[in-house]
Parts: sequence; structure tokens; C-alpha cells
Amino acid sequence: MINGIVKRDGRVVMYDISKIKMAVLKAMEACGTPDFEKADDVARNVENHFIAMGGNITPTVEEIQDRVEVRLMQSGLDAVAKKYILYRAARNNIRERNTSLMKIFDEITFSDAISSDVKRENANIDGDTPMGTMLKYGSEGAKDYYLKFLLSPDQAQAHREGYIHIHDFDFYALTTTCTQIDIKKLFKDGFSTGHGFLREPNDIQSYSALACIAIQSNQNDQHGGQSIVNFDYGLADGVAKTYRKLYLKNIVKCCEILDCPIDYEQLKAVSGRIREECGRGPALKADEEYLRRELKALTEMTGDEAVAKKAQKYALKKTEGETDAATYQAMEALIHNLNTMHSRAGAQTPFSSINYGMDTSPEGRMVMKNVLLATDAGLGHGETPIFPIQIFRVKDGINYNPGEPNYDLFQLAIKVSAKRLFPNFSFQDAPFNLEYYDPNDVRTEIGYMGCRTRVVANHYDPSNRITYSRGNLSFTSINLPRLAIEAKGDEERFYNSLKKYMELCSKQLLDRFAIQKKKKVRNFPFLMGQGVWLGSDNLGADDEVGEVLKHGTLSIGFIGLAETLTALYGHHHGEGEEYQKKGLEIIGFMRKFVDDMSEKTGLNFTLLATPAEGLSGRFIKMDKKRFGIIPGVTDRDYYTNSFHIPVYYEISAFDKIRLEAPYHAFTNAGHITYVELDGDVSQNLEAFESVVRAMKERGIGYGAINHPVDRDPVCGYNGIIGDVCPRCGRRDGEGVPLEKLQKLGLYKHLNASTLGQCGNPEEEKDRIVNPLY
Amino acid sequence: MNYNPQTGLVGEGVKFERIRRITGYLVGTVDRFNNAKRAEEADRIKHTVSRQNSCTKQ
Repeated sequence: MINGIVKRDGRVVMYDISKIKMAVLKAMEACGTPDFEKADDVARNVENHFIAMGGNITPTVEEIQDRVEVRLMQSGLDAVAKKYILYRAARNNIRERNTSLMKIFDEITFSDAISSDVKRENANIDGDTPMGTMLKYGSEGAKDYYLKFLLSPDQAQAHREGYIHIHDFDFYALTTTCTQIDIKKLFKDGFSTGHGFLREPNDIQSYSALACIAIQSNQNDQHGGQSIVNFDYGLADGVAKTYRKLYLKNIVKCCEILDCPIDYEQLKAVSGRIREECGRGPALKADEEYLRRELKALTEMTGDEAVAKKAQKYALKKTEGETDAATYQAMEALIHNLNTMHSRAGAQTPFSSINYGMDTSPEGRMVMKNVLLATDAGLGHGETPIFPIQIFRVKDGINYNPGEPNYDLFQLAIKVSAKRLFPNFSFQDAPFNLEYYDPNDVRTEIGYMGCRTRVVANHYDPSNRITYSRGNLSFTSINLPRLAIEAKGDEERFYNSLKKYMELCSKQLLDRFAIQKKKKVRNFPFLMGQGVWLGSDNLGADDEVGEVLKHGTLSIGFIGLAETLTALYGHHHGEGEEYQKKGLEIIGFMRKFVDDMSEKTGLNFTLLATPAEGLSGRFIKMDKKRFGIIPGVTDRDYYTNSFHIPVYYEISAFDKIRLEAPYHAFTNAGHITYVELDGDVSQNLEAFESVVRAMKERGIGYGAINHPVDRDPVCGYNGIIGDVCPRCGRRDGEGVPLEKLQKLGLYKHLNASTLGQCGNPEEEKDRIVNPLY
Repeated sequence: MNYNPQTGLVGEGVKFERIRRITGYLVGTVDRFNNAKRAEEADRIKHTVSRQNSCTKQ
């Protein structure tokens, strides 16, 4: 007998012969020949067919429909069969299209990014390009699969309903988030990108080019952004090599002019031998011992001591300036490269960050000065570079006070940031950063990913409390305001549900880690294959990465502390010290929870002030639907970033810094504080600096100052633009008469047909360069 | 740069670029922000820097 019917989604329902009859009848009606008896006959025949198979059977809907088609044909009802088949195909199509995944694919295919939030989820991917769209299909398809197959039902429900958000969910079963790349170690003896081997670079130009390639390669192995942790120390080696090369070339040049030609290769060999003997060579900081020995050798080579002395003097005088110029060019190329190169099937510019500030060697200082100057100059048409995020490490005794070795660079960093928004500032002296700092080990200098991620403590391996070669594995955020709204002012209820969701997140992070740790070195040809990740250099291609991954962090994040406090207590932490106290209690509770988790598991559980790029809108949209508009909680289109004071709340920069600083100490997985300044801050560096200093004094870990940076592509004006461009007087989208632009000194050597985008080479020559340094 | 010979105008339809910082990263133009981020950006108000509050740099 027929026990039941298996529906398309796998559910078994009661068998009902009248449903077959109705479907056949509908097809007959469509042909204009309804016949109840014939329909009944077809249905009974189909039923008998299955019963004849014997035993208890449960056919699928598809099998029944196949049989109906056969019977219709056998009965000579060809026209009806045709209708039936068409009807069935159309139904299948609609069913398929109505699954949410196919609806999303439809949106990806047919709407422009400008009107589609799905396509603008990541502002760095151009969702309108073919590769961006292809990535989007993959990403949405993967998410659907993970939700249905990999998450436990409670995790899937919490994620789907917006109690938690699993970040980078499209990469759930594939890889980990980010790494602070130690570029000095990577370059030593060269490296392979997985698509070819690159020799150890030999001058600053190739150092800069390879730094970009390293970021690009690693971005293809991980789902997050990439950072170079030691941009200053790492590229300083390239400056030293360029100096040595140019210095020896200058000696050869001078000898030739003085009619005592010597061979470059021979000189290189001689110089190299002296370096081996006394450990010192030609360098920005001239070494007396080396010069003495070199002079002796040069005298022998030229047979003329006066020529040798002159050549040395000439090289010493010339080489520094030339090295400086080469370094500037290399830094300019790096910034251009990082803003134009693509990774991930060509759809995304890599998220890149560089950390620097504390290298006091002349070479490291030259790198920093020039990367700042190149940032100041901007891209080809003077545009503000979007990448890399630059993070300047501020440290007492090194660059914070007048007279300290890198004080000039700190001042330059302020000046550039006031114009270009970068660098941001990280603070080595914040107690929670200073705690790990060992002046004898650069690997303990604090490093931030541009977005804010921070890894330094190491519960798994206390002998490696370093920032180098480590990063975050994955993170999941909690919708704090939701829990607060649901608690209806009941503190205990709030804390109970917070605890429940932190447990759920921990379990989910551990489940994800169980997938990540089964991966092999060969899955990450660069990250693990080239020893970028701590400890991976001791592994073979088929080894699992589980053990070394334990150096990474599993992080629980949060969003909307301000709305949470308002929902629970009526006010946020900017509105009174008692609310600040409540805020610190909540975040302190969360920190204690992750610390306990680390203790329990031996892994690095940390607390993150979530960056929430896509999340700020997702949670509140759902909560508006659930709870309606609650003033101060769900009445905007976004939840406030992590522990920030709401952006719309009036407060002084210094109060904001004072109130946010204590949260930096709790959020050991990363944090950032923003201050918004008005007007053209490049004209008020004192105010800008006072904010940076206040951040340092108050114990902020990582901070940035926002100010308006606008540009008019038509006349090239850079600065603040209200409704009207102060230079050419046009409004947004308006045209300007060519004569007017020419009167301003723009496009003046060009006529209408050769007009380029401010790229008039004649005009560029006329521009005055304002020395910054 | 687009030039319209009929009107003699340069740059019609060309928008101003407005660079803003959202999660730590800069974005070249507000157009690529999602709706929530746009709303947040629009709500931002400036923070005052008054001298007597400054706890630093005498």
C-alpha cells in the first residue's frame, strides 16, 4: 500500500488520491476538455501502478507525476499530457525561484549596486563588475549551505534571527581572518607566492614592490585584511641596500671622471670583503672604520691616494640624497600599487595596513619620512589614497616629546593625517599595550590591523606574547541592544541572556575552529607554505595547521553599547557617570567571560569592539520589525559602533576620549576611537595634535581623527567642499565653462578635444610644491 | 574629463569625491556605503576642542 508521499523538501505527507485527480482535471480544463471520469481513471491507474509494486511504499512527488504523464499518453490524451508537463515545469520553476537564495541571486544579477544593499555589503568590492557579481553568487551560495548543513540548529537560528552575527560567514569553512606579516623575515632569502619564486630583493624599489605582492598573496589565503607589522624595520633593509649600491656606483663614477677608472664588480667584491671582516659597510650613518679600510683598498686600486679620497668624499656627499629620492619613488609606487592592484578574482583591492613609527635607524626613518611625504602628495591627480591604512606607533622616549629621535616624524605624521586622514595613531604606552612591550624585542611592539584587530597576549603559548606573524581566526558579534530590549529593564534577565549568547558564540567559534584546524598547509600556499604564520615554517605541505593556528584568536564582539544602556537604564554612557559605570560593568562582564574561556580551553578567546561594517544596519532593521521604534534605541538606521558614544550626541573631543578609553582596556581583540573635527584641520595642526595627545594620555590604544576630505575631479581642488567648489564654483554634477577653468590656470595648454582629467603635464610643472619637511 | 561642445562646459555629471572613514578604512566616495553607513555618516556631529579641557601639552 501507499504509506505517504515524499515532498520535494524531504517531508513525508499523507497520500491523497484526490490531489492527483485535481491536477489532471486542471490540465484538462486548460485544454478546454474537462472530464471528471477520465481524470478519475488516470488517478486510479497511477495508484494501482504503485500498489502493484507490492509492500509498503512511499513514492516521491516526482515519481507520481512521471507516472501521470505516462498514463495520460497511454490514454491518448496527448494534448492534456502536454499541458500537464508544461504546468509541472512552470510550478518547479516558481518553487525554485522562490527559495531565498534564488531571490538573492536575482537581486545580484539585475539590480545596480547603488540600489542594492546586498551588493554594497563590502564597500571595497565593486558589486557591479562581472567578477564582483561572480564572487557574490559564490558568497551567497556558500552562506546558504553553511546555514543548512554546518551550523547547529541553535546557532543557525541565532544567526538567522539576528541575536548573533557570524562574521565573514561566506568563508565559514574555508580559512581564517588576518595576519600581521613580518616582512623582514619573509624577504630573507626570498619567497614564493605560489605562482613563482621571488629572490631576496636588492634595493628599495623591489622591497616596495614585493611588500605589495606579499599583501596581495596573503589576501588570497585569508578572508580578512592584511597588515605589515614592521614596515619601518622591514623596508629599512631595502634602503640600506640601495645606499650601498649607489655609494659604490658614485665612487666608480668619480674615479672615472678623475681618469682613474675602476671596475664596479671588483669594487663591490672589495667592499663586501671589508664588510665581512669588520661587520660594517657603506651606510647612511658613515662608519669611520669602514671608510679607513676602504680608502686603503681604493688607493691600491686607483694607485692614487688623492683620487681615492676625492671619490670617497664625492660618494659620501651624493649618495644620501639619491637614496632619499629612490626611497620616495619606491613609497610613491607602493601607495599607487596598493590602490590599484586586485586580489580575489580581480574584484577587490586588498585591504592593506602598515604599522610603523619606532625604528630610529637612519634607514627606517628614511622609509617613514618618504611614505608620509608620498601620502601627502596623493595619487596621480592628487586624490587621497584609500590604501594602505597607515598606523603610526606613538611611544614616549622615541617620538612623543621634543628632542626624541623620531619626534620629527610624529610631527610629520600629524601634518599628513590632518590632510589625508592617515596615518591613524596607535599608542604603545597604553597600559594594556605596554604590559607586553620588551624594548629588546621588536616583535612585542603593538600592531593593529587597520580595521582595529589586535593580537598580542598568548594564552596558548606564553613564550610568544608578540604581535608578529599572528592574527584573528574568526569572530562573532552579539546584538547587545536586542538582549537589552528583551530584558525590559530587568538587569538580571539581561545578564542571563548575555551569558547564554556568549556561551553560544563560544561554542560556535570552537565548532568553526574544529573545521579550520583540519586544513593542511597546502590549503594556504602563502600564509602557511611560506612561513608567514607563526610556527608554520616547521610544517610540511600535508601537515594539518591546527596546532599553529592556536596562536590566533577567537573573538566575541558586540555592537551598540549606547543603545543597550538606553534600553536598560534610559540613558547612554555619554549622558552621566552612572551610565558609564553600567557600561563598564557590561563590557567588563564580557571580558571576564572570554578570559575564563581562554582558561578553560587553553586557546586565545578575546573581546572585540566589532568594526561592524555591514552589521550596523542588519541588526537594527530586524529589531525595528520586532519591537517597533523605541526612542534612543531603534529610532535610527544603524546601531552605534561598539562602545562609541553615539555620533549624533554633542560632546567635546576630550570627554569622548575620556569616556571611551576605559573600554579600550577591556576589548583586547581590538578597538578604535574616532574624533570628528570640523573645518580644515590642516590649518589648525595644534588642535589636531592636542587630540592625539589627549588620546595618548587617557590610555586609548588606537585612534583616528575624522575630518572632511573632499575633492573636485574637474578642477582638482582638494579640501572641504560644501555645496559649491571653492575653486571653480561649480555645484555637484554641474559643468564649468572651459574658459573659466583656463582663467584659473587649469587646462590652459589644452583645447577642448585634448582635454584630460587635470592631467595637463604643462600645468603640473607650474604647480608650486610646498615643502613639508 | 567630459567636454560638451554644445554648451562649452567641462565636467557635467561629474560628482565631487567625498572621502570618509567608516570602520577604520577610508572609502573613496560615500556612494559605495550601504544604507546604514550612509545614515550614520549623515548623523555625525563634530566634537569641539576647547583649550581648557586639554589635559596635555602645556
